[in-house]
Amino acid sequence: MHVSIRGAFRKNRFGHIGLILLAGITLLALLAAVIAPTDPHLQTRQSFEPPSASHILGTNHVGQDNWSRLVHGARTSLLVGFLVACAATLISALLGVSCALTGGLYDGIMMRLVDALIIIPAIIILILIFAYVKPDIHFIIMSIALFSWAGGARILRAQTLSLKERAHIWAARSFGGNNWYVMRRHIVPDLSPILVVEFIHAFRRGVFVEAGLAFLGIGDPTTVSWGTIMRNAVEYSYMNVWSWWLLPAGLALSIAILSLTFIAHTLEPIMEPRLREEASA
Amino acid sequence: MIRRHLPTYSVAFFIILGINFVLPRMMPGDPLMAIYGEEALVAMTPELKAFLLRSFALDKPLWEQFLAYLSQIAQGNLGFSYYYSAPTVDVILGRLPWTLLLVGCALIVSTTLGVFLGIESGWRRGKVLDRSMLSMFMALSGFPGFFVGMVLLLLFGVSLRLFPLSGALTPYSGLSGLPLLLDIVRHLALPVSALTLGNLAANYLLTRNTMVTVLKEPYVFSARAKGLPERIVCYHHAGRNALLPVITRTGIWLGRIVTGTLFIEVVFAYPGLGGLTYQALLSRDYVVLQGILLVVALLVLFVNFCIDLLYVRIDPRIQNAR
Repeated sequence: MHVSIRGAFRKNRFGHIGLILLAGITLLALLAAVIAPTDPHLQTRQSFEPPSASHILGTNHVGQDNWSRLVHGARTSLLVGFLVACAATLISALLGVSCALTGGLYDGIMMRLVDALIIIPAIIILILIFAYVKPDIHFIIMSIALFSWAGGARILRAQTLSLKERAHIWAARSFGGNNWYVMRRHIVPDLSPILVVEFIHAFRRGVFVEAGLAFLGIGDPTTVSWGTIMRNAVEYSYMNVWSWWLLPAGLALSIAILSLTFIAHTLEPIMEPRLREEASA
Repeated sequence: MIRRHLPTYSVAFFIILGINFVLPRMMPGDPLMAIYGEEALVAMTPELKAFLLRSFALDKPLWEQFLAYLSQIAQGNLGFSYYYSAPTVDVILGRLPWTLLLVGCALIVSTTLGVFLGIESGWRRGKVLDRSMLSMFMALSGFPGFFVGMVLLLLFGVSLRLFPLSGALTPYSGLSGLPLLLDIVRHLALPVSALTLGNLAANYLLTRNTMVTVLKEPYVFSARAKGLPERIVCYHHAGRNALLPVITRTGIWLGRIVTGTLFIEVVFAYPGLGGLTYQALLSRDYVVLQGILLVVALLVLFVNFCIDLLYVRIDPRIQNAR
């Protein structure tokens, strides 16, 4: 496929903003130990403190440092998003491509499953599962990924169907390349721009779902999450502490999702070539 | 179209049923306790326990349990909520209208407004209005709905005191008739706005993108060549066709909208299914969670089915396709 990801970003305002914002949050997550040396779990007696020199964003209801929790929350969000994206993209690539190459009954059954998973409201299923299972962070990542691959699989299958009729694939087959070889050597490399787009979508979904579930109070209670911060802050919103407790976490989450939305939008012409002239919008 | 989608709906339905059936039974311990949780079991009378054990065949092998489960569901028995000490079906159906009201209003406002703005924006592609709307909605689509809800609540509810902070009605107000209606609308305004904003952006972006591609079609060119007024070309020729993907997507997005509603309801303490979900999570009323999943899934599948029917009417090509 003759599209370049770098080309899509060139001259695109949204793309640049998205990359800068994402880089900013990544930097925050990487430097967490340096810029927020206070242990985000450390509980002190100074609860509900307004912002001061020692606590830039004040403290929460059990005296934990809000700034430190915000910065370490970025780690959780990015880690969950990244791993969900890896797993979901892998599953959708394997299933999408194998369906297109195999066809027949396998393809038929898998596509019904994909269509079903696309309609089903996944978050409610996750709520039910997490209510029963009391998940740790690994289980959360796996479960979100398991309900996030369907849309990507359908797109990748459609692309593979058109790819597999092209001359270079026929040539590879005539030299004796089997399904696995063709998939590894030709189809997946050709699909890589679409895989990147799917990766970004799954990333965004992972960040959102993790925060949303933590906001509802289901999730791993030992991890620091923006969702948990917002949940706690809302409980005490009557105390007028929201401007340094609720807003930073909400804005951080919004910026993370916003940056991924912008990047996804920039890469959209890869999926929809008819939009391509619009690079400078 | 409809025949093609029926297998999808059945698969989706059986996935939900399967999760509802298998998940509690995978948990360790005696099945009644696994399904209902410890807190519920303590609160139950022996008669209720015996009744539940019998009607769901919980002392029988798994396959008999599954058959009993299916037959109970078919009869509308979703189990017994210990927290509300009422059948789960009644609890859920009592809350459902509020959620439907919320989703319905948000869906209507966001779709009509999103399509209208999308058509206008796509028609003016590259102009100032198009660019600024695109930037605005792009930014908007990144904000998670429940955070938007909180900001609206803090801004218009807490700071400006224009709207009530929570609930769907003023309790014990004894209102009726028009004042009651106005009271409901006042409580509805902020949650619907929060829900609408997110979905509006998605509808706008989809309509605009479709509009941009539709405007390049030859029939738009010939409509212009005939000398038709711009407005007619914009809405009758291009806009009508830009509507199709929005309708298809509404079905797929519905699950997401309903989920978004659950979060919004939690923020505004709205007494619909979202509030119920939250309450059920806090009180570990697992059977209610299962029931909500089933009811919401049925709702989403039903609306998708209706959209299939609608689609044939809007796009005659589907009917002639085979």
